[in-house]
Amino acid sequence: MRVVVADDAVLIREGLVRLLEEFGFEVVATVGDGDALVEAIAEHKPDVSVVDVRMPPSFTDEGLRAAVEARRRVPGAPVLILSQYVEVSYADDLLADARGAVGYLLKDRVVDVDEFLEGLRRVAAGGTVFDPQVVSQLMVRRRKDDPLAQLTPREREVLGLMAEGKSNPAIGRQLVISDGAVEKHIRSIFSKLGLYAEDADQHRRVLAVLAYLRS
Amino acid sequence: MRSLMRRVLLDTRYTVVGFPTAVIAFVLMVAGFSAGVGTAVVWIGVPLLAGTLMVARGFADAERGWLSDVLDRPPVRPRYTPAPSGAGRFRRLVNPLTIGQSWLDLLHGVLNFPISIASFVLTAVAWAVPLAGLTYPIYGLVTSRIPGNVELPELLGLGEGYLVNSAFYLVLGLAFAVLMPVLVRGSALLRASLGRALLTGVAELQERISDLTEGRAAAVSAEANALRKLERDIHDGPQQRLVSLAMELSRAQRQLARDPEAASATIKSAITATRETLDELRALSRGIAPPILSDRGLAPALAALAGRATVPVDLDVQTIERYPAAIENALYFVCAETLTNVAKHSRATVCTIQLQRLGDALMLTIGDDGVGGAHVAKGHGLAGLADRLRAVDGELTVQSPDGGPTLIVAEVPCG
Repeated sequence: MRVVVADDAVLIREGLVRLLEEFGFEVVATVGDGDALVEAIAEHKPDVSVVDVRMPPSFTDEGLRAAVEARRRVPGAPVLILSQYVEVSYADDLLADARGAVGYLLKDRVVDVDEFLEGLRRVAAGGTVFDPQVVSQLMVRRRKDDPLAQLTPREREVLGLMAEGKSNPAIGRQLVISDGAVEKHIRSIFSKLGLYAEDADQHRRVLAVLAYLRS
Repeated sequence: MRSLMRRVLLDTRYTVVGFPTAVIAFVLMVAGFSAGVGTAVVWIGVPLLAGTLMVARGFADAERGWLSDVLDRPPVRPRYTPAPSGAGRFRRLVNPLTIGQSWLDLLHGVLNFPISIASFVLTAVAWAVPLAGLTYPIYGLVTSRIPGNVELPELLGLGEGYLVNSAFYLVLGLAFAVLMPVLVRGSALLRASLGRALLTGVAELQERISDLTEGRAAAVSAEANALRKLERDIHDGPQQRLVSLAMELSRAQRQLARDPEAASATIKSAITATRETLDELRALSRGIAPPILSDRGLAPALAALAGRATVPVDLDVQTIERYPAAIENALYFVCAETLTNVAKHSRATVCTIQLQRLGDALMLTIGDDGVGGAHVAKGHGLAGLADRLRAVDGELTVQSPDGGPTLIVAEVPCG
């Protein structure tokens, strides 16, 4: 799998490269700022890019803006954003084009190598991966009459895991329930929130959930 | 209607009482000043001038009291610096001569005279015309029968006789009755604006300066407290954790040769410790300057705060503009600190946050249904917030009776 790594901190960049190469990924380019990232994605068309949010020159959300720009030029280019902070409004920018193949994780999640690589593969395959912290911010009750309030605690758990981008079997494993039970919960959630569950495609389903939570 | 009547009467009183006062003041000022300056050469003038200035101050104080009636503002009085302690008798005597405001009082006493005359005449006319016009039908019965008496309508070619006169004067009286409040208000303001410029302008400046000084002191102390707290937090948190992490890792290094199993377990716990340290650092840097706030402004930053709160939050942000960094920071910290307090002390089940712009003010309202009892005293964290707000000219109001609910309002000018 071909990867572009973008981070202005040399330590982190080298660490990521070492980690990825050890697990059989091929790092085709490493860059240290937003413009270079857009160029690298346009040139190499990697299977996935790992991008840090804060990069020069502005040190604000440079990486994020570059990722959005790159996905405009190479539609749907898979991008996994790593950041020291997770913020919903950053997630919004990533989800705006509704194409999927995006991820947004706290930098520390890299420490849990298996989970990080699993997420990377899922983004490369066109899925979405969101940090539990983003999801918990999305699940905040926003109004008194919010349909989210009608969900049972179990349904909220399922919805949260679904928004993180987990597959049905993974949700079932985590909550120790059968696939059938997961399906049932999801159907109930969708009817309570007034979403269409006709679409069997898991990626699309996650996007629908995220779109609902962001509205 | 009642308030309009009250306004008109107040303004009238101000003008009517002010006119004779202004005449007396003018006479005393001009006479005192001329005598004082004329005889200053032989020293008699010096006490004369000082006395005149003190008299001017008396008149100025009276005028300042009335001004607050007319302009509907709390009375302000400039500071008259007293003579330095331990000064000699002469120095104490000439002290009024050394104060700029004294001379402004004198100038006001002189200039107020022509202006008072103008206001008085305007007000008298504004009252006289409607009174005379509207009562004409009564006294007109007599005056219209005086032989050779020519009335205004006849001169204007409108005709003559009691009925024509009555109609004409009634219309005129009504027109002036409608105009009267405007005329009376205008003439009162004419005089009041001179008083404001000469008598309270300096005081207002002095007040503004002392407000700013206070705000600056508050900012400095808030800053110093924040830095002290930050240093303590870094020392107690991440620093300690990193030291223990280094110890763990060196232990793992020793274990590697003897007991790889144990080494693996040690490394695993070291990784956990690292993540905890990162969490702590994240919380700390959020406390200093949350990146989301400088990147995207208040709305997303408050949403993020609400998202991390332990108590369910109803968030209602009605403004998405960007404001000066100092204002955004102050309001953000009020919100962050308040949510921390809600989590710690309130035992609330729900919390509401509202941010709205009302004219030139930004209002952040935070309410919870907890046990109440919050107040702006040391140790509640609220005193520091009041300081932070004062630094940006803002204000913190706390309503939190025992038993709740608590309502905290932070208001900051953002014009």
